Amino acid sequence: MIVAEHLTKRYGDKTAVDDVSFTVAPGRVTGFLGPNGAGKSTTMRMIVGLDRPSTGSVTVGGQDYRRLRSPLTEVGVLLDAKAIHTGRSARNHLRAMAATHGIGRSRVDEVIELTGIGSVAGKRAGKFSLGMGQRLGIAAALLGDPHTLILDEPVNGLDPEGVRWVRQFVRHLAGEGRTVLLSSHLMSEMAQTADHVIVLGRGRVLADAPLADLVGTWTTTTLLVRSPRLADLVSALQIPDATVTATEPGAAQITGVTAQTVGDLAAARGIPLYELTPRAGSLEDAYLALTDDSVEYKTKEIA
Amino acid sequence: MTAVASAPTTRAHAHASTAHRLSFTHLMKSESIKMLTLRSTWWSLGVTAALSVGISLLIAAASSDIGGGFPAANVILAPTQFTMLVAGILGAIVITGEYSTGMIRSTLTAEPRRGAVLVAKALVVALVMAVTTVVIYAVAIAVTAPLVSTGLDWSTPSESLVPLALGVVSMAAFTLIGLGFGFVIRSGAGAIAATVGVLFVLPIVFSLFSFAGPSWQWILDAADYLPVNAAVQLTTPGGTEIGQGALTLAAWALAPLVLGWIALRSRDV
Repeated sequence: MIVAEHLTKRYGDKTAVDDVSFTVAPGRVTGFLGPNGAGKSTTMRMIVGLDRPSTGSVTVGGQDYRRLRSPLTEVGVLLDAKAIHTGRSARNHLRAMAATHGIGRSRVDEVIELTGIGSVAGKRAGKFSLGMGQRLGIAAALLGDPHTLILDEPVNGLDPEGVRWVRQFVRHLAGEGRTVLLSSHLMSEMAQTADHVIVLGRGRVLADAPLADLVGTWTTTTLLVRSPRLADLVSALQIPDATVTATEPGAAQITGVTAQTVGDLAAARGIPLYELTPRAGSLEDAYLALTDDSVEYKTKEIA
Repeated sequence: MTAVASAPTTRAHAHASTAHRLSFTHLMKSESIKMLTLRSTWWSLGVTAALSVGISLLIAAASSDIGGGFPAANVILAPTQFTMLVAGILGAIVITGEYSTGMIRSTLTAEPRRGAVLVAKALVVALVMAVTTVVIYAVAIAVTAPLVSTGLDWSTPSESLVPLALGVVSMAAFTLIGLGFGFVIRSGAGAIAATVGVLFVLPIVFSLFSFAGPSWQWILDAADYLPVNAAVQLTTPGGTEIGQGALTLAAWALAPLVLGWIALRSRDV
């Protein structure tokens, strides 16, 4: 459980994080979204005590991170893959990290195995590709088998297999009742991974809602309708907030009504339907609508 | 990445992991692993050893021509005025390397009590340099023995064991000066410049005033308080100003570390 209360971080007269409050609950994957510079990484650094909040506070498992007596078993962190000395081998990096908590070699070998970096564990981290560096960073985060995982852009630079592995792995960890907070720029990836989404923009929380609610609220479902008697169907659809856009002869996109309404109406009037396809909005659509400059400070109630 | 099948093993660890805790001993071990698994450390220690033993050999060879009067301990201790630079630079890069690579963020998330990190690092670098210096002195004594007319007189500790032991302490202190500057300045180039400046350049600048009139004498007096001159006072066989030298050198070793601690605890990383 991560609880942020009125977190604010100012650098000079620039406010990077502005009165941010949220709760990251255990047992689900919480996605952290936002454009570059929205304050995601700064917030994550404040959670683990690297940056000191200007005002406000954040706790992990009810405690200030700086007061944890066993941080690696409480929180696993991947802030960026570059938080590793380039001159040290992957295995030695993990050994040094593990040693701070008296974690033995067998666990080091285990996380090397788990993240698939066994063949390069003896190589210096500076020679690693971006993807290998990410895997090493994830291995370090897993060392203490932590209750909470904070992963900043964990799939950045990973190959498709690695991306899928991270997705399944974090879902598995959340399934065990752990708290998972991860950020990503890959919307399709986030849509498949997260249960709950927190969207930051210009240092503020724009949305904090279950993924489905967020997509439902910020996008519209479009019906693709194809019929030889489209004009009859449209004129029969006397619903005020329905909009109809003709796409090609005999086909139209309709929003503001459900597929059920259109189907029932067509059946009642004996109008043949060749196609009736609902197209739900994506997380990306919702994200773009939310973070678009023109709507950035617009508030919208999310149930 | 054979992956998900192996993921459930993490569960079993959840119970074992409760036994894993931070402790200062663990932290010291971690810092030792970090220091000893970098090539730059071994290069620095190797250069220190080569310089030290090499110069001791040269002095020993020359000392037979100098004749008596040249203290045997000085054959071993004289190279310090060169090796101190390597020691200081090693101390600086131990921490600036963490800042330049971002490793410091991993270090401080594993141990959020920053003061403990600084103390553990200081103890480890001082210890590594001390042990290395003991080995170097032992080798230097062995290889110079055939060349010197009068060897070390172990029955008079003030002429042998005491200056050598204080030489070991001085080398550790030089390393700490570099480490302290590293914590304060964070950049490798800056910390090395500051370290070389204090250890090597300042003594030269101060010595220029030996040509000036008596009204500049205070600068020469002040030069006694530079780390190098403090170390000379400390390690002079049979020296009488050991106390002053020890205090001065300790102040030089500790002051940058205290400043470094203030910077470390207040700044973001």
